[in-house]
Amino acid sequence: MKTRLAIVLVAAAALILVGCGGKGGGNTIKIGMLFNMTGAQASLDAPSANGANLAAKEINAAGGVLGKQIKLVSFDGKSDAATIGTAATQLAQTEKVVAMFGFSDSDMVMAAAPTAAKAGIVFVTSGATSPKLPDQVPDYLYLACFGDNVQAAAGAEYAINSLKAKTVYLLIDKGMEYTLLLGKYFKERFVEQGGTVVLEDNYQTGDKDFSAQITKLKGQKAKPDMLYIAAGPDDVGTIVKQFRDAGVKSPIMGGDGYDTPLLVQVAGKGAENVYFTTHSLMDPKLGTDAVKKFIAAYQAEFKVPPENAFAGLGYDTVKLLADSIKRAGSADPKAIRKALQATKDLPGVTGAITYQEGSRIPQKGVTVILVKDGTFTLAQEVVPQKVPQP
Amino acid sequence: MAMSTRLQRLIPPAVMIAALAAILGATDLVAGDYLQRIVIIIGINVILVASLNLSNGFTGVFSLGHVGFMAIGAYAASILTLPVHLKAVNLPDLPGWLQGVAMPFLPATLIAGLIAMLVAFAVGLSLMRLNGAYISVATLGFLVIVQVVLVNWDQFTRGARTFAGVPAYATIWNVWIWAALTVYVVWRIGASAFGRDMRAARDNEIAALSLGVSVIRSRLLAFCMSAFLTGVAGSLWAHFITSFSPKSFFFTQAFSIITMLVIGGLGSVSGSVIGVFLITVLSELLRNAERGFDIGALHLPPIYGASQILMAVLFVLVIVFKPAGLMGGREIDIRGILRRIGASRRGKGAA
Amino acid sequence: MTSTELLLQQLINAVSIGSLYALMAIGLAMVFGILRLINFAHGDLIMVGSYVTLLLMLLGLPFLLAAAAGVVASTIAGLIMERVAYRPLRGAHEIAMLLTSFSVTIFLENLAIILFRPTSRAFPAPAVLRSVIEIGQLRVAGLDLIAIIVAAVLLLGLTLFVRRTNVGIAMRAASQDLLAARLMGINVNKVIATAFAIGSFLAGVVGLLWSARVGKIDPLMGFNPVLKAFVASVIGGLGSLPGAVIGAYVLGGLEILLQGLLPSALTPYRDAFVFAILIALLLFRPNGILGSTEREKI
Repeated sequence: MKTRLAIVLVAAAALILVGCGGKGGGNTIKIGMLFNMTGAQASLDAPSANGANLAAKEINAAGGVLGKQIKLVSFDGKSDAATIGTAATQLAQTEKVVAMFGFSDSDMVMAAAPTAAKAGIVFVTSGATSPKLPDQVPDYLYLACFGDNVQAAAGAEYAINSLKAKTVYLLIDKGMEYTLLLGKYFKERFVEQGGTVVLEDNYQTGDKDFSAQITKLKGQKAKPDMLYIAAGPDDVGTIVKQFRDAGVKSPIMGGDGYDTPLLVQVAGKGAENVYFTTHSLMDPKLGTDAVKKFIAAYQAEFKVPPENAFAGLGYDTVKLLADSIKRAGSADPKAIRKALQATKDLPGVTGAITYQEGSRIPQKGVTVILVKDGTFTLAQEVVPQKVPQP
Repeated sequence: MAMSTRLQRLIPPAVMIAALAAILGATDLVAGDYLQRIVIIIGINVILVASLNLSNGFTGVFSLGHVGFMAIGAYAASILTLPVHLKAVNLPDLPGWLQGVAMPFLPATLIAGLIAMLVAFAVGLSLMRLNGAYISVATLGFLVIVQVVLVNWDQFTRGARTFAGVPAYATIWNVWIWAALTVYVVWRIGASAFGRDMRAARDNEIAALSLGVSVIRSRLLAFCMSAFLTGVAGSLWAHFITSFSPKSFFFTQAFSIITMLVIGGLGSVSGSVIGVFLITVLSELLRNAERGFDIGALHLPPIYGASQILMAVLFVLVIVFKPAGLMGGREIDIRGILRRIGASRRGKGAA
Repeated sequence: MTSTELLLQQLINAVSIGSLYALMAIGLAMVFGILRLINFAHGDLIMVGSYVTLLLMLLGLPFLLAAAAGVVASTIAGLIMERVAYRPLRGAHEIAMLLTSFSVTIFLENLAIILFRPTSRAFPAPAVLRSVIEIGQLRVAGLDLIAIIVAAVLLLGLTLFVRRTNVGIAMRAASQDLLAARLMGINVNKVIATAFAIGSFLAGVVGLLWSARVGKIDPLMGFNPVLKAFVASVIGGLGSLPGAVIGAYVLGGLEILLQGLLPSALTPYRDAFVFAILIALLLFRPNGILGSTEREKI
């Protein structure tokens, strides 16, 4: 057994060496891509990886950057912090990538970004929206998306000003940083404007039965004007469906976790009167031309429409890095960082990106979407008046 | 004569320590960060698996919840070592007496191990009365409870949010000193009268009882020592990864440690080391291979998940064909090997 | 809602979720009773059945036909699982079998990730399953009623099967003493395969009800249900069929009770309470509510 195992080991090692040997370097620019393709985080991350690959393909078809082709060097993070740290080290040291990007969750980002920083290259997270994140890795960690405080504030202001809501029922997923922050910031801004929280309840990521929470809400004497449910893309459909099936008709609001076709597919008619804040209107008919083009290309490449908001963010992140490399005029990591920080009004399918001096969270507008007749429609573009401190 | 046998006895450990030090020194100086990381990961896993062996292998108390102790160790140590200015930001609700504390690595790790041990004692007092699959079920329950508490005890753990900013204190050296210490302790316990008691209780509880072995006490003692070392490993892991959240300490991690233990062989310390080494290296190779590669003109696309599938198949194969693991409960006889080498050399010299 | 109505509504919630747990727990209990194997991969049979159903529906098959095929697929998957992974382990230590079932889970989940992509997919259930019956303030989802009825019918059928048919009686004999059953000339392999087939069939049915309730499926969907079923069967007494059913309803009730009655600050600790109760039960009634108080011989 032992000898046989040893043979297997040696054979595997040989295969890998053969595989790694034949890589040429001169005519490509290597960018490191880290997403969880398996494990608990895969349903969030896989669409981002698709979006990123699509962007790289488009850039290369159009002649690449600085006359060179872009090569996305990718590892599976396996939803495991130790594996991610190792993969980030490989990207920085062995593959000598000029920049890294990836992940939709703060832990995962934090397992990789310090390694990138140590090697002097930037890490751009495509989907982790915690506004506290950049400060954890000074100088090198960038967000490609807005912070949760911005979208939650936009949601709260819209709820007060346009929905005329005074009372709210709050349901928060206690198992995710994203939903915790979203709920916290929403509450802060909503209460600040004179609103009240009637009842605050919670659940755990992956819960499938919400009947107890619903019954508790219905047992409440004062009916809230609206519901704010902070949930991830895998749970939103189920939650909205079960609340609606139980006869809850008030407007439901949430964050960019709702930006997935699953919302309408799973909740059906229940998705009507649902509002959410997100990056842009991802609709094959009503979106901007860039969005339409992106959705069509995604559909052609992967045979499904973009699964959630992360697909577009992955796509924009690669375009953002390519643009920085182009403006830097070289693939030198230092120059790339400088150019990235100077990014201004770069159009993308998830909104234009601008980094203010000294900030590594882009200034992006927030789009409020209303689900109407089974499609996402634009309710309002919001720039929040006041944003809670991260 | 007496002097020389004592010296002879010291030769094998001395040789091993020297060899280990040489390998680590070489890795530290020559190898790149990637290889160093793998060596550190192997070291931490050796502690986790060898200490699990102390409980699961020797006493037959098959705990599925040891990752809970790893989590306790990781969080406890990180709370103690987190720099004061980060505590103010990341853990603002910490009680006052903890706010100003930023301990060095060693005391924090020892305290973390002790806390894990105390929890193990409290839990073990009742759990050690259970048998067979029930104890696995109950320890699994313990793991879920730890998970739930970590996710909700915001004041100390930040809840589900990332616990970041832990100083990167873990090095090849301190990890492997702990690893060598763990292996030595577990091996000595295994060879001691106490170790024989534990195994007797594992193999035939009633016979052991009749010979005056207190089954519950020996189980509890093993469980607590094992939890201490697992807590230490948790601290090392935390100061190696430097940012984590409760979900790092759940079923996936639990299963990966148990796999290494079972493949190496329950009840064998050398088996634990071999199991860790084989699994870590193999999954590392497979992880690199599943990204796809070219053999000549043939291009294999990436198949993410293939490495997990192959490891699962391998595990079942080992259980079917080598049910007792690769080492089958035995130890590598280092003294015997050294003696044989010495003998063959002497034989050659004579010829 | 008045407090009586509230209580009644929570009771309905508990019974309907308990019914799903019961159908799952039975499958686990049956296999454990005979083999002493805690089959964690049982949950993945739910996933197999649901994906087959969904893919056939996408190909244009009507729901009932696709659902039937899904249940069959899950049954076949269970049989293959038994033949390939568990039969070679006959007589192995129960821990070895438990760990093997973890491996089977990892295998199936990653295979599903590769074959079906890791993202969730909507599971379109027919309108009947989405109807709601209103009685005063009370609302009973059609799906909940169906789940309760299906569970009752299947449990009754299973009871008859185990008590009346030869295979069923052989199954009970095997669960009392595998070796003695073999000595009596019972084809143990056949009995075990039957137990797996029945359990997997039930898992297939649960898969449909579960997916219709949740509205979407994903490769890791089997993990939560199997954990619940596992808790349920331990509460009822590992290996006891009536115990598994009772345990399932107790668990359903407990969950709803804790989520519904605990103050909001404590509800996140719900699962911790459930597992603490489980451990307490193991200590004081190690063989569960209904488990035989099996004494050691002599």
